[in-house]
Amino acid sequence: MALIELQELTFRYPGAAADTLTPVSLSVADSAAFALLGASGAGKTTLLNLLSGLLRPTSGRILFNGEDVSTWAGRQRNVAQVFQFPVLYESMNVADNLAFPLRARKFQAAAIKQRVEVIASELNITDQLGHKASQLSLFQKQLIAIGRALVRPDVSVVLLDEPLTAVEPKMKWRLRRTLRRVQEELGVTMIYVTHDQTEALTFADQVAVMGDGKVLQVDTPERIYNRPLHEFVGYFIGSPGMNFVPSEQLHSSLSLVPGTKRIGFRPEWATLHAQNSAHINGRVTAQQLQGTDGGGLVGVQRLATEAGDLAVRGNLQAQVGQTVGVRLEQYLCFSQQGQLLVTPHE
Amino acid sequence: MNKPYNNKAWLGVLPVLLIVAFSGVIPLMTVVNYSVQDILDFNSRFFVGFQWYTDTLQDPRFIDAFLRQLGFSASVLLLEIPLGLMLARGMPRQGLAASLLLVLLAIPLLIPWNVVGTIWQLFARSDIGLLGVSLNALGFSFNYTANPTHAWLTLLAMDIWHWTSLVTLLAFAGLTSVPPAYYQAAELDGASKWQVFRYVELPRLKGVLVIAVLLRLMDSFMIYTEPFVLTGGGPGNATTFLSQHLATMAVGQFDLGPAAAFSVIYFLFILLFCWIFYSSVMRNND
Repeated sequence: MALIELQELTFRYPGAAADTLTPVSLSVADSAAFALLGASGAGKTTLLNLLSGLLRPTSGRILFNGEDVSTWAGRQRNVAQVFQFPVLYESMNVADNLAFPLRARKFQAAAIKQRVEVIASELNITDQLGHKASQLSLFQKQLIAIGRALVRPDVSVVLLDEPLTAVEPKMKWRLRRTLRRVQEELGVTMIYVTHDQTEALTFADQVAVMGDGKVLQVDTPERIYNRPLHEFVGYFIGSPGMNFVPSEQLHSSLSLVPGTKRIGFRPEWATLHAQNSAHINGRVTAQQLQGTDGGGLVGVQRLATEAGDLAVRGNLQAQVGQTVGVRLEQYLCFSQQGQLLVTPHE
Repeated sequence: MNKPYNNKAWLGVLPVLLIVAFSGVIPLMTVVNYSVQDILDFNSRFFVGFQWYTDTLQDPRFIDAFLRQLGFSASVLLLEIPLGLMLARGMPRQGLAASLLLVLLAIPLLIPWNVVGTIWQLFARSDIGLLGVSLNALGFSFNYTANPTHAWLTLLAMDIWHWTSLVTLLAFAGLTSVPPAYYQAAELDGASKWQVFRYVELPRLKGVLVIAVLLRLMDSFMIYTEPFVLTGGGPGNATTFLSQHLATMAVGQFDLGPAAAFSVIYFLFILLFCWIFYSSVMRNND
């Protein structure tokens, strides 16, 4: 378990024209559950490979507990990794798989046995220890792979690279919950890489949103959602994502921070009203039912407005085709470059 | 449950049955037929039962050739399989170098077998061959036509040169099927080079290695052309293997009955070895 720090880390693949990672600085607290969230091509796998030692940074430093490990080989860094698909020693049984990293590092036999038992009971796989790894289901295999990553008591950080990809959908939540529980109980530093916002926001205490080789925001899931520092983060997080409206399209009456070019609001930050009291007018083009609330139907309403297409979450009182006004109860101001400006509410 | 029966389907198998009959079963049965008869000429022949079989199995020349054959096949397997594996592991997995190496490795496999024999026959000659002359110049008195050990070593060197590539190519194909994540995981686990080979690569190489061993076992057990060209079975009978002994009996001496019995025994031994190997490997496989 360790404090992980990235200092001005850059990386460029040999022969590539541009940096895959432009300077990235990050700090992951000891024993934290940390998520790296980004679309494919954002550089998160490159960052993961830099942490695991598969790649060497072009410039910048990686510190584990203050020690520069940038040029260390993977085996020296004392990190463990869980891959997209289960990576096991298929000719071994489950117990030998779990014991392998300890045996390779010459732990005492008694210590190995005890640690394997601890991890197996932690993951509820004690009854499978004698099974051959190749006979298990994908879900169980991935569980064993997670167990193998956790087995070294002194591991600095456990890297998880989209670990739920191969697991069938109804098992995903179980595995995610197990991961989270084990992370808390063992106090392991985990860095969880994913493109799935639900996974990132439910797993981690701290989420780093990456886009285009940069870390755009590092924050708690709540603040990532409610206070995106960049338009991309607001748009990328949430389903549907944040609405953005050019400020000149607004019917006055909103107080804006000087320099505001666009305002952003979550679908649930707006309500539908009669046109005369609204900030934006539009026509309902579609409704998506998501449930009921106090007898009324609630869901997402899609609107075509002069400021572009918007999504508003709430009661589905309007009809498709009806012209309505949108009132913003809460909003954020963004600059020309898409940066968050301090809102008048704060 | 009523299963639909459609016996017309048997007609579909007929072409294969015919081909197999003409290519395998009928010739084999002809040999079996010869093996229980004493054939003096085409008009006078008579049934002798299993006499040729008992004779063959007690024939010291057969036993000698059989033991030589076992020694040769065992040496070939013990040398070529590990060597082929090592070469495959040492090769780059992709890029121009990998492609060039694959072509280079394929070359010995493409040369006709009697040409391979001729190449080595010339290469190893102690009067004009590069290898033979060089060895003699270095102070080793090397002459494969006179010294049985030298003849064996030359033969083994030739077979390794000829066939290690096959093992390498098969093992290489097996190695490229190992996803990079497995190597990365082993690296992070702190696995030694041996452990990476034993637990990451070998389980995935098992299938191709079984094929490699079976091919080399059968082929080396039936070797004929190369020793025939290289040493002619000599010096003395030092490199006379089963097939050459058989050819001498059948073609040279026209002993059709004993040669046929010999063939059947020969065939059954190859079948037996392959079966023992295959079933012992596959039994441990679950």
